[in-house]
Amino acid sequence: MEPQSATHPPASSVQPPAPLGGRQADLWRKLEERFGRRDFLLKSGWAFFWVFLGGWLLSNLRYLFPNVLYEPTLAFKAGKPEDYPFGISEKWKKTQRTWVVRTQDGFYCFWARCTHLGCTPNWFDAEGRFKCPCHGSNFNQNGDVIAGPAPNPLWRCAITLADDGQLFIDKARLENRPGLREQGEFFLPFESA
Amino acid sequence: MADATPSLKQTLKKTKIWKSIFRHDFADTPRTRLVRIFGNVFLHLHPVRIAKDAIRIPYTWGLGGLSFYLFLVLTVTGILLMFYYRPASVLAYQDMKDLSFVVTLGQLLRNMHRWAAHLMVIVVILHMVRVFLTGAYKPPREYNWVVGILLLVMTLFLSYTGYLLPWDQLALWAVTVGAQMAAASPLLGNEGPFRLPFITAANDARFGLIGGTVINDATLIRFYVLHCIAVPFLFTIFLCVHLWRVRKDSFSKQTGEKVDVWPHLVSREFLAALLVTVILFVWSLVMNAPLEAEANLNVTPNPSKAPWYFLGLQELLVYFDPWIAGVVLPTLIVIGLMAIPYVDVNPKGVGAWPKMRWKRAGPLPVWYPEERPFAVSVFMLGTILWFALITIGTYCRGPNWEWYWPWEPWSYRRLTKLTLKNLPNLWGGLVLGSYFLLGTPVPKQAKEWLTSKAGPKAPVLVSAALHMGLGIVIAAATFIPLLVSPDADYPLRSRYTTLFETLGRSTNSPVVSTMYQLVQQFGAAGYALIAAGIGVIGLALGGLGMAFGKFKDTLYETLGPIKYAIVMGLLLMMVGVLGKILLRLLFGIKYLISLPAFNFNI
Repeated sequence: MEPQSATHPPASSVQPPAPLGGRQADLWRKLEERFGRRDFLLKSGWAFFWVFLGGWLLSNLRYLFPNVLYEPTLAFKAGKPEDYPFGISEKWKKTQRTWVVRTQDGFYCFWARCTHLGCTPNWFDAEGRFKCPCHGSNFNQNGDVIAGPAPNPLWRCAITLADDGQLFIDKARLENRPGLREQGEFFLPFESA
Repeated sequence: MADATPSLKQTLKKTKIWKSIFRHDFADTPRTRLVRIFGNVFLHLHPVRIAKDAIRIPYTWGLGGLSFYLFLVLTVTGILLMFYYRPASVLAYQDMKDLSFVVTLGQLLRNMHRWAAHLMVIVVILHMVRVFLTGAYKPPREYNWVVGILLLVMTLFLSYTGYLLPWDQLALWAVTVGAQMAAASPLLGNEGPFRLPFITAANDARFGLIGGTVINDATLIRFYVLHCIAVPFLFTIFLCVHLWRVRKDSFSKQTGEKVDVWPHLVSREFLAALLVTVILFVWSLVMNAPLEAEANLNVTPNPSKAPWYFLGLQELLVYFDPWIAGVVLPTLIVIGLMAIPYVDVNPKGVGAWPKMRWKRAGPLPVWYPEERPFAVSVFMLGTILWFALITIGTYCRGPNWEWYWPWEPWSYRRLTKLTLKNLPNLWGGLVLGSYFLLGTPVPKQAKEWLTSKAGPKAPVLVSAALHMGLGIVIAAATFIPLLVSPDADYPLRSRYTTLFETLGRSTNSPVVSTMYQLVQQFGAAGYALIAAGIGVIGLALGGLGMAFGKFKDTLYETLGPIKYAIVMGLLLMMVGVLGKILLRLLFGIKYLISLPAFNFNI
């Protein structure tokens, strides 16, 4: 079989090596049809076009993610520990969106943000529950979910003692896993006098 | 000419200026009727002549045209509002107050913009229902239906982005919830399942949407641009495609003699637009658009409700994990809607409302759409279900998103009534698996094989056994955990000595309370009654599956395996949502399957 068959595209100028068996010649022709010079240039041209377009669109997507954020700081000083009564303090809820909790052993601090979809729950003293107004999640005093759709316990913020003796609360450092949330920077031991 | 001296109008009409603007005269001749349509850029999307039956008002109710008109009203009122509104968190709310109280006609414009938006959502949804019921999405109009669904989604997205702009409490918290759903999306959300390792709160889908980690100025300007420029731009493009394709794909109704579009259709459109304008004006004069207190990122109003068209979604979020209710289900709804023309192979019912007929189904009279019984029933069930969710969210939810009947007064200090618990995963898996297996057909080949193996009665017996068995499994797997393990969440506390004690400590849902009462009153007979009840529910479920057995088999043969799986899967999911709501409200079951490690709660 001649390598230059009738179906061979005239565009291709690449000559196949002369003596080839029928199947090999077929394969060569197929390869050439697929990867011939013109075809190659055309396809790579289109490939560059789509890659450029796609890259440009993706880079614009990246453009939508800002590098500098003008957001309020997440850390604040919350006054002297001895000024807090036992239980849940709502002192900082309206300004810092946190509840400071004082127990016999010390302090921890909740971030007042429902783990379901981010609304601010309310504290109901009589029931000892936090209830979320948006989808009805309920949390107990430990922050564990006791009703509603919330998937995780409430987040606890890092709470430490600053040099001037005030509580220092950082909402950027969060923990809600039982076992980890009761120790380290998420619990501040404080002996009640 | 009767007049010796031509009137001013006649003189004017002879001037070069007039003639350069108006290319034709206004005499009502067949020729001008045509020239008016194809010589006018605003009218030329109309055909010149149209079937008489297609423009009868009870066929379309003008809903598509009204959607377009409301889009125009929203554009005009929106442009006017933009003259006073500044998208910055310290200014936006004050500008809203200015618009309400010191700008002349500001309140009216704002009202019109808000109410037109609500009206547009209603009208677009009704337009979709109309197109479905008159079969106008069937070939060759499948693609235009898909474009229409995109326009519906964009209408809702426009409402959502516009919602933040007043910067009041209502706005902020609706958007907080909406944006948080993005954070719950799989892979790309910081709080979603299968989160990619490099995704944090500072680069996830939510961050991209709101332009920061909290909703603030960056979000406001972002939503402002989306609402005023970006989405309307896209909307207009798709609207052009939609209207163009209406023409190019030909109208669904072709019967009746042809009449001139001018004046027959144009006058109807004009009157419809007038009517809607009057309604909008009256509505805007008697009712002010709501404006709550200025947005406060730290305090959520109680209860915090989304606008009505998102309340169905908000209610759905109560029953499932956020990524399922907020991302997966809405995506499936949209994809399911788009898939309709491609899975509906029934060519009947194009260009006419369904012919309804009373028919007996067993002892019950049923109002029955003759030509497309299945399609119409499923679509309407879905629509009604969606509006049922909206109704629950609007009228039955009070403080802390607890269930209040519409006639009950709200109390912010009411004790939380319903206690919930998860079914153990194994049982929940059984319920869910059996439920979806109820949708399996018995294909022809299987029937033939069964007949050849075990005689002519075998297929019927196997089908009965399959359905009844699945029904019993569903009922038993729902009740047994309620009876024997009252606290799936705290297994250590559930070592109760008697079944009675167990029941007493289970949830306080209506069904469990009733069972408790039964046992308390009747002792062992009570248990027997419960067992009988479980059996009856199981058999009823199985019977329901079996009643549709023959239909399922025919459906399977008409659609083939892929389309059947899509249709049945979507149908079962839709009904399953209803089932899950009943399980939650009646049985106190929180989740059927709960895998917290994967945020998989269903």
